[in-house]
Amino acid sequence: MGALKRFRVLATSLVALLAVACGGGGGSGDETQAGPATLRFSWWGNAERAELMQQAIDLFQSRNPDIKVTPSFQEFEAYWQKMATETAGGNAPDVLQMDFAYLREYSDRNALYDLKKQEGENLELGDLLDGLKGAGEIDGKLYGVPTGGNTWGYIYNPALFTEAGVELPKDGWTWDDYREAMASIVAKTGVHGGGNYIGSYYNLELQLRQEDKLLYTEDGKLGFDKARLKEFFEEGKALADAGAVLPIEKGVQIKPSFALELDLVAGDLGWDNFMARYDKGAKAELQLGPVPTAKAGTSGQYLKPSMLLSVSQKSEHPAAAAKLVSFMVNDPEVGRIFGANRGLPPTKAQRAAAQLEGPLAAVAAYEEGLEFGPTPPAPPKGAGTLEQAFIRITEELQYGRIPVDEAVDQFFTEAEETLGS
Amino acid sequence: MSRATIAPERESREVAAGQAGPAKRTRLPGDGLAGYLFLSPWIIGIVLLTLGPMVTSLYLSFTDYDLFNSPNWVGLENYQRMFTDARWLRSVQVTALYVLLAVPIKLAAALGVAILLNGKRAGQGFYRAAFYGPSLIGGSVGVAIVWKMMFSDDSVVDQLLLRVGVDTGGWAGNPDFSLMMLVLLATWQLGAPMVIFLAGLKQVPRELYEAAEVDGAGRARRFWSITLPMISPVLFFNLLLETINAFQVFTSAYVVGGPNGQPAGSTLFYTIYLFDRGFGDYRMGYASAMAWMLLLGVGLVTVFLFRTARGWVFYSGDSGDRK
Repeated sequence: MGALKRFRVLATSLVALLAVACGGGGGSGDETQAGPATLRFSWWGNAERAELMQQAIDLFQSRNPDIKVTPSFQEFEAYWQKMATETAGGNAPDVLQMDFAYLREYSDRNALYDLKKQEGENLELGDLLDGLKGAGEIDGKLYGVPTGGNTWGYIYNPALFTEAGVELPKDGWTWDDYREAMASIVAKTGVHGGGNYIGSYYNLELQLRQEDKLLYTEDGKLGFDKARLKEFFEEGKALADAGAVLPIEKGVQIKPSFALELDLVAGDLGWDNFMARYDKGAKAELQLGPVPTAKAGTSGQYLKPSMLLSVSQKSEHPAAAAKLVSFMVNDPEVGRIFGANRGLPPTKAQRAAAQLEGPLAAVAAYEEGLEFGPTPPAPPKGAGTLEQAFIRITEELQYGRIPVDEAVDQFFTEAEETLGS
Repeated sequence: MSRATIAPERESREVAAGQAGPAKRTRLPGDGLAGYLFLSPWIIGIVLLTLGPMVTSLYLSFTDYDLFNSPNWVGLENYQRMFTDARWLRSVQVTALYVLLAVPIKLAAALGVAILLNGKRAGQGFYRAAFYGPSLIGGSVGVAIVWKMMFSDDSVVDQLLLRVGVDTGGWAGNPDFSLMMLVLLATWQLGAPMVIFLAGLKQVPRELYEAAEVDGAGRARRFWSITLPMISPVLFFNLLLETINAFQVFTSAYVVGGPNGQPAGSTLFYTIYLFDRGFGDYRMGYASAMAWMLLLGVGLVTVFLFRTARGWVFYSGDSGDRK
């Protein structure tokens, strides 16, 4: 009896199951005619971003008095849980922030509206930066427009490099140089050289691109084999065993903060727009420098479309929704409001208006000095899940709970299960 | 003795049945309807919010439902896959270990505190409230966050342990300690079983202790031979409730370890993995199958507890020679 009663907690948590997804739908009548509408708009982020978003929304509403926008936001993980249940329940918001890793997940499942239908009418895309232009396109349909672009960089504290007598990172420095710098810095200064780079999926992607390979092939398979992953994992294992990088115990406990913003490490690889965040938190003067390479001239970098805006297939107001997307991407005022909060703005007009200062000016200068390779195709369905698995497995590897071979096997098993279906 | 208690019961049942006869004749049409109408909020609630989802999830547990597409029947595949799923096995292991640790520790602590608070001392009311307090706010996210901070690197607990020469590097980041941290959190919330124990202790007739004291029984002897047997029904009730609760720990574990059961999967509870499969990976069919396996598991444990209870639970009025 008791068990049954207690089980209600569980049963009600599965209440979402009642709602069964049904496809199709979309607006009726003339889709490009924007009438009075109330739009639901969801994104992930923190309170700081919410404040900026509200300013932008207020501005949009004052320009379009017949469109009302109801915003809501969550943290990244909770956001995707909510989007999944809402989409399954046929109750997705009209406009939703979309991650590149989830774009195909949602578009393949017929959950997103083809924004091509609004292009030229309610949606202007002409001013987008080159690397971002076709980023939200899959099979000729446009499922999302990026509101920012960022790229991988190396953010570091030059004072610690100098103290350790290690040469500052410069163009063409190699992964060997990088690992040596890590070890020297901790030996001479007592501060760990960095976090363990195997914890991030993008470091693997960067290495692969430097070898003219891809993380995911065009047809949505893994672009590397077990031997290559093993090599990557072994590099990280050696760093961890040598004590050159921040121990994982520490890394886990400071979450959701980053080691660099707490002055715990000398430098770290990451998205360049995090420069602003680190700069606010860290006491040290930080700099943004080039990423390590496989060999000179192969930085492997691309401008990653960040925080795309998508319109739900079920939205009753696709025209008004497209207007909101267009406004968020193009309006110079919006560029000024956000600065680099979502990565550097996606359009030339917004970049000009953003008045980037201090660390953000450094990010802009850094991106201007880079030569971007082609943006990879949108990751396959399940890429988000697989990235989570990667983070989980590399963590256990660093804890020494599983040997390298088992970590590699676990990842490939997960990949087969996730990408195979 | 037992025959004496059953007889009047039967009598009264017959009387009740006799009364029901004439009452039936004077019943107005629609009386039953009114009854059901009054019940309807609960009936609707059970059907829509409990029975409906349960039946649906039973169906979905045999499908590959992924939240977006309509489910396809896959038979027992989800159930079979669990036994080869390393993370599922891990989650069962973690949960079982937690239940085995948290339930006895929490019950022992609750009973100990209840015995201390049972006596007549100044300020007992205050202490009872103070010990009960944590269980009122216990399930909240805020408490779990504070708990995690307390046990993190360089925080209160870590500093105290360092003073006595124990360096754990923070419990929250150490896979060998993280589960214990959650066990302590559960123990801290001993209020509910403590209050029930307290009520049970008050029911133990004083004359039994007096008689034992006259016979020369010491404190320990009185506890084992009088207190424990006399409160065994209460103990059983608490054991049952706490066990079932412990199987379903979620909030505190999610706050401490997130959907991956950090650190290194050491807090990957069954419910956490279930949630992650369903809402993180969108494998809702698999998650539903997991939910039913959990129900089955908890059900089996409950049956097992009831079986053993025959041997050690004594209800007042039972005579020792009943069997």
